[in-house]
Amino acid sequence: MNPLALSRPLMSAALIATALLSAAPALVAAEALPAAGARVAEFYSIGKLATPAGVDPQIGGLALMPDGRMVAAFHHGEVAFYDFKKSSWKIFAEGLHEPLGVLPGKDGSLLVMQRPELTRLRDTDGDGVADSYETVFDDFGMTGNYHEFAFGPVRGPDGKLFVALNLASAGDTIRPEIRGEWSPIGLARDRFYAGDWKKYATEAGRMYGRVKWRGCVVELDETTGASSLYATGFRSPDGMFFDSAGNFYVNDNQGDWRGTSPVHIVKRGGFYGHPASLVWRPDWDGSEPLKQPVERLNALRTLPAINIPYAIYGNSPTQMVTIPQTAAWGPFGGQMIVGEMNSGRVLRLLPEQVDGVWQGACVNFVDSPALRGGIHRLVFAGDTLYLGRTHLIWAGGEGIGTVKLTKTPFEALNLHATPKGFRFEFTAPLDVSAADPMRWAGQRYFYKYHEPYGSPQMDLTPVTPSKVTLSGDGHIADVEFAELKPGYIYDFDLAGLASVAGDTVLNPRIAYTLNRVPRVPAK
Amino acid sequence: MRFLPVLVSLATLASAGLTAQVAPAAAPETAKPAAPATQKIRTVKLKMRDGLRFEPPRFEAKPGEALVIEIENGDTTDLTHNFVLLRPGTRETVITSALALAEKGPAQEFIPASSDILVHSQVLAPDGAAKITLTVPGEPGIYPYVCTFPGHGMIMYGALYAGVTLPPLDKDPNIPPTAAQTTVAGAGKRPFAQRIFMPEAGPAAIAVALAGSQNVCWDAGQCRLRYAWQGGFIDASANWAGNGLVLPVVPTKPWWRAPKDDFPLRFGSADAAAPTPKFLGYAATPSGPIFRYRAGETEVFEQVIPAAGRPGIAVRLQIPRAKGPVFYRAANDENSKWSSSVGTWNGGVLTLTPAQAADVTLTLTSALCTP
Ligand SMILES: [Cu+2]
Repeated sequence: MNPLALSRPLMSAALIATALLSAAPALVAAEALPAAGARVAEFYSIGKLATPAGVDPQIGGLALMPDGRMVAAFHHGEVAFYDFKKSSWKIFAEGLHEPLGVLPGKDGSLLVMQRPELTRLRDTDGDGVADSYETVFDDFGMTGNYHEFAFGPVRGPDGKLFVALNLASAGDTIRPEIRGEWSPIGLARDRFYAGDWKKYATEAGRMYGRVKWRGCVVELDETTGASSLYATGFRSPDGMFFDSAGNFYVNDNQGDWRGTSPVHIVKRGGFYGHPASLVWRPDWDGSEPLKQPVERLNALRTLPAINIPYAIYGNSPTQMVTIPQTAAWGPFGGQMIVGEMNSGRVLRLLPEQVDGVWQGACVNFVDSPALRGGIHRLVFAGDTLYLGRTHLIWAGGEGIGTVKLTKTPFEALNLHATPKGFRFEFTAPLDVSAADPMRWAGQRYFYKYHEPYGSPQMDLTPVTPSKVTLSGDGHIADVEFAELKPGYIYDFDLAGLASVAGDTVLNPRIAYTLNRVPRVPAK
Repeated sequence: MRFLPVLVSLATLASAGLTAQVAPAAAPETAKPAAPATQKIRTVKLKMRDGLRFEPPRFEAKPGEALVIEIENGDTTDLTHNFVLLRPGTRETVITSALALAEKGPAQEFIPASSDILVHSQVLAPDGAAKITLTVPGEPGIYPYVCTFPGHGMIMYGALYAGVTLPPLDKDPNIPPTAAQTTVAGAGKRPFAQRIFMPEAGPAAIAVALAGSQNVCWDAGQCRLRYAWQGGFIDASANWAGNGLVLPVVPTKPWWRAPKDDFPLRFGSADAAAPTPKFLGYAATPSGPIFRYRAGETEVFEQVIPAAGRPGIAVRLQIPRAKGPVFYRAANDENSKWSSSVGTWNGGVLTLTPAQAADVTLTLTSALCTP
């Protein structure tokens, strides 16, 4: 069941069972999305790119260089360039510590986030191999706990860099020697060394962030390395992304304080739900965050813009990227996608801002066993989407997969909230039978904000529209409900729809996180 | 999907015309001997290990041979696993069907209804065990085994070779590629630097294989040498096969360890407070990494190389802009002995003028080092 390669804590068997059951209570009618591998092949061609010989093929970072080469960072610490013209790899650097992100630097250098630091790699003598491994930023804490992964960097619109730091997992204690400031708030440090860790593990918090900036997003100046705390409240934020409008997206993984995996729009000073990192907020009052009433934490947090319903859509979201607006990607150009660790799946994310509040939908994009799993790092090059896979000790895969769109499938292209319901846009005109509200049956539910691992689907209720209006060209359907409840996920199954051409929807499930019902209709 | 507990699978197998029988370890009375009682049944032990691995990743049996497979979940990272033996060539199909069970998976032990499944265990918690008695099918073939716990199957598998010759381990397409990989960091390359968690050091450690046979652990968090050992470089297999929880193995006992919590450099006077170090990175050179850090306000370059002409290591320090005398604390112990290219020794402290500090090599040898 495990989900997220990079975020799944070690759990006892009992905890695992509990997590599974809580994610799938008996009354839940949610069906797993069908593995439509054969049908997917009608629309997408799926292949692979060989990784360098002798290098462990788990991918921590993948990016496109300004000169068109692709760069990959590997699990054992190698960094290599792929030259598309020569179809060959060249090892650029090696011996890095679990690199989980690469980004071209401003000056021809390469930035790599390792477990202990952000490093600038540079080839100063022009032989094509890095000879300078310069520490850009290491002013953050490490306890040596295995779960303290470090993600990033991404570059914001003003050129600032951002990195994200995982919490430690109570699956293990801390090492005798740590790096950085220790927060005194919480379980006393000597208890971490008392020998019987299982006894104290629950008191530490299932995920804990006792050294500097764990569970936080940090802002950096690439030139000086100057750093500042940007946002708190994260658990295992594997995916960070700036869209072309400068909105900063950070996702996280289902777990404690994460009823399901969220996608957040992050702003300076914000708190995004996991309390462990509150000890690093300059204005925090010094109380133990894990012991605060849920109401207090709930009032402090910013809600996820998009919830990715657990086990139905995804378990462990990874990197987010935008589909290029080129002919190769048809109507999907400009939309955001996210990888998934637990199955061979990439999802589309459809965020929108409604009366100042971010919300939106998720829907499967390419969902096929042929993609395997562990889809960790994504990059577009030419007409191809490259998928770098990993697993570490968790669910996932290895190597680099490729995806091309060969024919546009019939899909819900977009989904917007309206004052009375939702506006669906499709890639092809709907058959008139779609005017029947019964074909738009869905369900609404929410995930609980609480300390335990995951959440059942709460108040799961079937919903059927009161009215469906199709646009003249058949591409748009306005779906109205007698009642709309903000705070719920509206999860639709469009399997009963058909296009004028007689096609059914390739990925029929689509789930909209309705934080706010808009006052004015969408344009 | 129907509920398919272990014992029901007996019926499934029977109806499929196979002769395998399965029994959970806790209910041995349900296990029927798969061969005449006079014939001793061979036992094969199979362990589930950290990093989604079966150990061994493959084993041989004769077609038609009766076997007891004793399975133990020895995963120290608290993951649960099952064992599912399949008809040849069906691994990916069965993994896909198991994944499609989604939230229905747990209730049926992640076992999809499939005639490709020969036998299987329940889901085993850590330290859990199961015993499976079976008769290997009479048809020679490569029978895959796999864990169908969601997400594990693509990595956690192996192969029962029945009457088929084993290919070399590194050329076997039926076992995970990692099963055959060399896992000494750097694969024998020297000099070589590997950043990784290391025992007896802070979490930002660097293991360095020097040219020759010496190795050191250099601590980037504390900007100082921590220990030295002679022989092979670190075995990172368990660390890399997992999530970083298990530390790499230093194959031989270090012959020298730095004193605890003692940054060796002092500036101005031998009794000055230890300066705060700040790691700045390293240059990768043909003779190994040259570390760069600030000690207080002073920039230092440090490289660890093999000692010249005798077993041991040498620390080459370059402090280009020292403003006054520089002191390096390097006390001898019962086995190890420090010497230096320049400077004056005074009770385990080397004193250097700013000019000497611009380039000095300290050599450390030990009675425990062998040529
Ligand atoms: Cu398993």
